Amino acid sequence: MHSGHVGCPGCGATIAMRLFMKAMGEKTIMVLPACCWTVIAGAYPTSALKIPVLQTAFETGGATASGVRAALDMKGDTETTVVTWAGDGGTFDIGFQSLSGAVERNEDFIYVCYDNEAYMNTGIQRSSSTPYGAWTTTTPGQDWKRMRKKNIVEALVAHRIPYVATANIAFPEDLVRKAKKARSIKGSKFIHVFASCPTGWRIPSELSVKIARMAVQTNIFPLYEVEDGIHYTINQKPKEYLVREYFKLQGRFRHLTDKDLDQIQTMVDEDWALLLRKAEARI
Amino acid sequence: MKRVLEGSHAVAEAVRLAKVQVVSAYPITPQTHIVEIISDYCAKGKMNAKFIPVESEHSCLAALVGAQSAGVRTFTATSSHGLALMHEILHWVSAARLPIVMVDVNRALGPGWNIWSDQSDSLSQRDTGWLQLYCEDSQEVIDTVLQAFRLAERVNLPVMVVLDAFFLSHTYEPVDVPEQEEVDRFLPSYSPRFTLDTANPYTLSPLVTPAFYMEMRHDTALAMDEAMACFNEIEEEYAALFNRRYGSVEAVACDDAEIILVTSGTITSTARLLLEELRAKGEKVGLLKMKMFRPFPVEAVCRALGRAKKVAVIDRNFSFGAGGIFAQEIKAALYKLPVHPTVFGYIAGLGGRDVTTAVLEEIYIKTREADLPSQASIWIGLQEVKYAN
Amino acid sequence: MNLRPLFMPRTHETTEGNKTGSWRYLRPRYEDKTSPCSAACPAGEDIARIEMLSAQGFFKEAWETILRENPLPGVCGRVCFHPCEGSCNREGFDSALAIHTIERHLADTAARNDLKPALEKLALQPQKIATIGSGPAGLSAAWFFTMLGYACDIYESLPEAGGILRWGIPEYRLPAAVLRTEIGRIESQGVRIVTGRHISESELNNLLSNYSAVFMGCGYSRSTPLGVPGETPESVKDGLEFLRSVRQGEKPPCQGLSAVIGGGNTAVDVARTVIRLGGKAAILYRRRRQDMPAFEEEIVMAMEEGVELHELLAPGAIEAQGDQYRLILRKMKIEGQDKDGRGRIVPDGDKTGEVTVERIFTATGADVAEPWYNPPSDKPGTIALSHCQIRFDKKGLPLVYGGDLTNATKNVTQAIASGKQAAMAIDTYFQQGSDAIESRLASCRVGDGLSLSMEVYMQGARRLRSFHIVRPEEINTDYFQFEARVVQPRLLVEERAGSFDEIDMRISANLAIREAGRCFNCGLCNQCDNCYLYCPDVAVIRGRNMEDRHINFDYCKGCGLCAAECPRNAVTLEGEGI
Repeated sequence: MHSGHVGCPGCGATIAMRLFMKAMGEKTIMVLPACCWTVIAGAYPTSALKIPVLQTAFETGGATASGVRAALDMKGDTETTVVTWAGDGGTFDIGFQSLSGAVERNEDFIYVCYDNEAYMNTGIQRSSSTPYGAWTTTTPGQDWKRMRKKNIVEALVAHRIPYVATANIAFPEDLVRKAKKARSIKGSKFIHVFASCPTGWRIPSELSVKIARMAVQTNIFPLYEVEDGIHYTINQKPKEYLVREYFKLQGRFRHLTDKDLDQIQTMVDEDWALLLRKAEARI
Repeated sequence: MKRVLEGSHAVAEAVRLAKVQVVSAYPITPQTHIVEIISDYCAKGKMNAKFIPVESEHSCLAALVGAQSAGVRTFTATSSHGLALMHEILHWVSAARLPIVMVDVNRALGPGWNIWSDQSDSLSQRDTGWLQLYCEDSQEVIDTVLQAFRLAERVNLPVMVVLDAFFLSHTYEPVDVPEQEEVDRFLPSYSPRFTLDTANPYTLSPLVTPAFYMEMRHDTALAMDEAMACFNEIEEEYAALFNRRYGSVEAVACDDAEIILVTSGTITSTARLLLEELRAKGEKVGLLKMKMFRPFPVEAVCRALGRAKKVAVIDRNFSFGAGGIFAQEIKAALYKLPVHPTVFGYIAGLGGRDVTTAVLEEIYIKTREADLPSQASIWIGLQEVKYAN
Repeated sequence: MNLRPLFMPRTHETTEGNKTGSWRYLRPRYEDKTSPCSAACPAGEDIARIEMLSAQGFFKEAWETILRENPLPGVCGRVCFHPCEGSCNREGFDSALAIHTIERHLADTAARNDLKPALEKLALQPQKIATIGSGPAGLSAAWFFTMLGYACDIYESLPEAGGILRWGIPEYRLPAAVLRTEIGRIESQGVRIVTGRHISESELNNLLSNYSAVFMGCGYSRSTPLGVPGETPESVKDGLEFLRSVRQGEKPPCQGLSAVIGGGNTAVDVARTVIRLGGKAAILYRRRRQDMPAFEEEIVMAMEEGVELHELLAPGAIEAQGDQYRLILRKMKIEGQDKDGRGRIVPDGDKTGEVTVERIFTATGADVAEPWYNPPSDKPGTIALSHCQIRFDKKGLPLVYGGDLTNATKNVTQAIASGKQAAMAIDTYFQQGSDAIESRLASCRVGDGLSLSMEVYMQGARRLRSFHIVRPEEINTDYFQFEARVVQPRLLVEERAGSFDEIDMRISANLAIREAGRCFNCGLCNQCDNCYLYCPDVAVIRGRNMEDRHINFDYCKGCGLCAAECPRNAVTLEGEGI
């Protein structure tokens, strides 16, 4: 990754890309559907990335990668890895069909969703990955988002693909390890990367990594892997901070009352208990 | 080798002979036979290609964007709603300068659900930067699909080869299927002008500001213009090898015609029958078959139609608020002539309604009997509507 | 066929032409700051750096870092009261770092491997310095004078050098062999130690004509008398004298019960020595246990070894009773507080107690052996610094008093600090005159305390450190896991009784590295590379030199992540354009 890209100061998506590309190396082709990175990557004639990149329409992350992979297979290329790098919009919402189709076919590629929890590129509108309680421009004021964040990881786990994992920019070694692991597996791999957004979350840029770390420490974004849709491994024992510590640092949650936060704590605890049960289940 | 094939099968044969490497498709009546036959070829090893059974047409074309960008020859087929769903990516493919070849089986758009022949689907994509070539019979299909790959790869623009639903896709006809070695002489393996290559990395389709966008679009326009000449060159080459050519248009008995019928697709075959009958009766009638629609063959159309008194365009399509699309484009083409025939626009055969010689004869007589068209578009064969409320 | 070139959406340059540094309104700067431990250390040791090097396995370099500020790590690693650990920022996280354990390990490792330090020395100066007394102050003064380029002679009246280190502190706390190695190193730097040479007051003037300056480090070697009726040389023994004779190899009679009057380390040392020589000992202290100046650990161990401790008892009178002595004691009680924070004692009415003992030791305080050792603080023209006083003779030659003679707090490390300060002051006096001393020394302060850094004085890299002392809340503890402090093994009580073997045992290099790894390295970049890893703009550049990191300001957007994610506050964010 080159300097000179136009990511916001403190952008988590750029940290995610940098760490991920460290793990991938040169023999990588990236499919890049519309997302913040479309712009971050630089305007014609420049590119911030050192590998071949195919930018593509918003909802086509999974399908385009399937095509690239098919072509490489026909050319006898067994070394190059195909990666789709998409935002939460292009993964959870408009791109979900294409993703689901591609992984149902167990296409051999890595799909990375860097999640900044809203349509940030178009100006902070809500997506189905926006968390319960958040302000966005389309869930403003009292209409703050009262839907839970879609659990994309479990949706992908249900496809029984070889590898699904969550990762977080504040846990760089874990992210790199998972990326390298994904690279070594054949079939569909999905990595959900938590990428904080100072601009959209209304936090100071220097807290970008800390907030990401707190998401794991509060169990809001647990770090875990699922192999073959069955074997769960939880990677990080959380510090079990209260979620309100995480929420009160972000402007996008400023409107929440103590009662709201208590309710959210219950929701997070339930989800974590559910995950633990899945991790402990033996088949 | 001569075989009796339905149109769909002819497509599949051409795709096999062209040594396409990646095919992606989503089934939609009446394209399904094309997809099934190609699938079968891939599974049996008759074709060395990867078949991606995508989950929608939009994904289908997106997958080909990926595959073609990575440097292999690709193909797909669709129809009607499938083509409509691909619309966003149709624009994308041409602006990305990817030489993808696609067969569209002309089928009506719903509601109401209608699986039969209608040109509205392909024609409503006329602004997307794809070349469009319309076929009359299965022989033309196999020849045109093969030429399409040469043409697309020559100008780096995608080519859409169009067949009528059922009339062409599902009708069996004798077809001379070329041998593989002959085709190899005509169509070499794909050599991309740009590709995704880790040894030479760059980004395809990045953000482009107003400072550069217009020039890129202009380059595409220039390529489309070149396609006209390239088509003729390629047809020459093909004719030299296979002794068949079609032309961007085919003018039949137009030199001394007073009235010229303009048709496209399988209606042309019906029109040829009527032409014989009418000529036998001494009518000074001609027929212009439109094969190429994009780029629109303005020169050829002006040459063929310029001296006639009247032109009757048969459109199996309609652009609401404007009129039959072939008619509009022909009027526009003729505009530059200081003297040009009166153009009568007829709408017939929508939703697969049969266009018989009787229908065409009615059109001919109406044209002959009127100095000017009674309406901007004349709908032929409309029945009385009984249950409107 | 000539194909027309394609003009299409395809890139051919990198984004490096876009200098995003123009976005910035805050700017990061690598700024090493002062760790609280180094400010608390009287010798101003660069502790954060010592631990950093130790954790990386660079034991020799870590040891040399100590030697730049303290020539006696083997001593301090054993007997210093380690105020560094009391100010350790890790205390609030899990537990303070065992700094003294690591310091001892480094010294022992150097000794075991016979390492020779590579230290900076300034160019040879014409002046020669004389030091009287080879205790910690004198040894330290000589060491630092030598670093500054001065030839130095030490005159020691006793047969072996070391002062209180050799003749006061017992063998089980500071083995003589260790001390000899430490002193040997000082000598190998060029210091000449003349033992068995007592300097009298008249000889002092001789010295002043043969040398350019004299350092008085004679210390306190005489215990303060009790000042009670019945006190005679037979009835009350000098505690320090007792310790000295034991360290000379003698075995003075200790059978029966000995009373030790006092509450400092000397009293505890005397009591524990008596135990080891077969006797019983009872410490009688006029205040409470928590008021005792002795190290708490020493008191605990003493009591484990069987020493009795009796509080709030002051000596009243002594009566001989045959071979024994009857010691009358006045009971004391606490009323209010003294100005040093300790409880104020007053006699508890007329209450008394008594005890019959074989002998009585006084260890209530110490004083100079000869009165002229004391600095004449009232004389005009005397420069009084925090740890030494400088008087000029008729010819303007400086006579410096230091160590216990001048220090407010009297212990080994403060004495070492005193020697260092004296060397700096005299060197400044020679080079720039006495008016420059205060400001020159002030520029060498470590943080905001009284400790001085010789490395800074000699224009070493440490001079670039900011004076800001890193506070616990400035440490990003997200990067540290709870980890238990190393436990330095120790002889069991049964093993200690009857033996003068060293009590605290050594630790392995493995444990030393692990413990040093617990150090936060407050304020000091330890090349963890968080800044490099997290910079979204790839604007942190690692230089060829392992320790070099710098910011590429062409691209730095001033997001501040490098500063926030530096676990140890070694990056400062400031306004752009300032």
